[in-house]
Amino acid sequence: MTWLAWRQFRPQATAAAVALAAFTVLLAATGPHLASLYAASGVTGCHIDSCDRPASNFLGLLGGIDTVVYLLGVAAVILTPAVIGIFWGAPLIAREFETGTFRLAWTQSITRTRWLAVKLGLTGLAALAVTEGLALMFGWWAAPIGQAARVTAGTFPLGMGPFSLPAFDAHGITPLGYAAFAFTLGVTAGVLIRRAVPAMAVTLIIFAAIQVAMPLGIRPYLFPPAHTTASLSGYFSGGQTISPGGGFALAVDHVRGEPGAWIYSSGAVNAAGHPVSTMPAACIQNNDPLPCLASHGIRVAVTYQPTSRYWAFQWTETAIYLALALALAGFCFWRVSRRRY
Amino acid sequence: MTAVIETERLGKRYRRLWALADCTLSIPAGHVVGIVGPNGAGKTTLLSLAAGLLAPTTGTIEVLGGPPPENPAELARVGFVAQDAPVYAGLPVADHLRLGAHLNPGWDEALARARIERLDLDPGQKAGKLSGGQRAQLALTLAIAKRPGLLILDEPVASLDPLARREFLQDLMEAVAEQGLSVVLSSHLIADLERVCDYLIVLVASRVLVAGPVDELLATHYLLTGPRRDPATLPAGQQVISASHTDRQTTLLVRTSGPVLDPAWTVSEVGLEDLALAYMKQARPARRNHHLEVQQ
Repeated sequence: MTWLAWRQFRPQATAAAVALAAFTVLLAATGPHLASLYAASGVTGCHIDSCDRPASNFLGLLGGIDTVVYLLGVAAVILTPAVIGIFWGAPLIAREFETGTFRLAWTQSITRTRWLAVKLGLTGLAALAVTEGLALMFGWWAAPIGQAARVTAGTFPLGMGPFSLPAFDAHGITPLGYAAFAFTLGVTAGVLIRRAVPAMAVTLIIFAAIQVAMPLGIRPYLFPPAHTTASLSGYFSGGQTISPGGGFALAVDHVRGEPGAWIYSSGAVNAAGHPVSTMPAACIQNNDPLPCLASHGIRVAVTYQPTSRYWAFQWTETAIYLALALALAGFCFWRVSRRRY
Repeated sequence: MTAVIETERLGKRYRRLWALADCTLSIPAGHVVGIVGPNGAGKTTLLSLAAGLLAPTTGTIEVLGGPPPENPAELARVGFVAQDAPVYAGLPVADHLRLGAHLNPGWDEALARARIERLDLDPGQKAGKLSGGQRAQLALTLAIAKRPGLLILDEPVASLDPLARREFLQDLMEAVAEQGLSVVLSSHLIADLERVCDYLIVLVASRVLVAGPVDELLATHYLLTGPRRDPATLPAGQQVISASHTDRQTTLLVRTSGPVLDPAWTVSEVGLEDLALAYMKQARPARRNHHLEVQQ
């Protein structure tokens, strides 16, 4: 059965190998230059409080080609699971139904369970290997950018922290989970719909919906966030906008001592820890209200996920997707072995 | 006489439609059995049940004395060619043979190769580019080379042109003669079966209307022509299958084991096609609810 599964998969495998090779060449051609820029920038070995400047310098040096390759890489890693689900998963069984060849396959001297197991196993492993291979290569290439982005407070086109969208989805092991899920989702759609093209469309719609729902609706709640309050002076250096009525807002874009943290929300709190949005009367007339606010006990409160939880998030999210993939695969086995065709 | 397929009140329902209902039949071993019947009689459903592709909703079915094939050993004993002879369009002929070799422990490589050569199939040709007749031949080769005890063919020649049809059946006959296997094939065209079958089953609306060796069927059915007369007045041993009347003349197709002695009749032999058609016509009012021809 392995032979047949491989023979049927060969055209797609060839296409994937070519795409992977092209991507490898692109990364290999541009990666060393990026790495040498990074090595010269002094970000490595900088003290945690003095990293901002070398990191900003490094990110500022990145040229158009680096930006293009970075965005291409992110797009490739994020889109590969979808492409695999649509073009490998959905037709895998649907095409057999559509052309009637399942009747040929199922009347050879081999059980349907084994037939499905080999097809799912071979193509599924290839899906995982291609996606994670892509993610690891891109991760290697983009590591300097990720390091610099983590320690700088400034914003650059590529200055994205590890938790930011879409950097989180394109790094680490989550692509593995996405690929497994997208692939089995496609297979399941094919088993149920039994026509390749509608199954491909359904796969795309469901996978896209879930990939939007995950970062927005599920990921933030995987772990309860941490809270911290800090003095204003460490974050703000003046120039805050104050409305005529004394209303004001404080927002931070990083957490001190936690480079790359994922900030949910931030705002001013009084000494008792309650949120404040109106400035004390004494501070309104002040040209530089920050010291005045500080003297009134006002601090900044941040709700965030510490950087140290990055891998916990990665593993948890991957586990969720892998569990979904296993459930879908199990459903496919049940459905195919049920003799209803 | 052992049976290759034996069913007892077998039924298969798709949601609310019964594709086969209450079908009881026994197909003897060692024959080339033709199952004829109109579209929707349940032929495809019956054969799919026998091949293990479907599970029955009601009743029982035995294939080669056991349950319908499910495990590798059972599957190896039954060769099956589905309607329209599905093959992998993207794979060449040679890869279909490799497929057969990989998936069937009893694969007869020499037989497969000899057949492909004799049928003049180009091993490098993609199966999708074969003609309908060649595709059917390729599918038959796969089914035969796994060396089954029972070969099931569902409408094997329905989509072939007359020449390809003749060649396919001719080739099938040779293969059967060489291997001595039992064959069950279905068709809605009796003319196809006449050439190859030695046992006929007429199936209409899941019911077996007549079944038996072709010789025996031909020897017990007569066409009687004579002056107009009420069929009810025939002797007890003569069963009227069909009757037609003009103003002065009556034509009857009767089944009887004894000779027809009444000198008023002109007795002539009846062909297999007329015989089967007479049974189907007789059953027509009963088939209203069974128009589902299963495609998948």
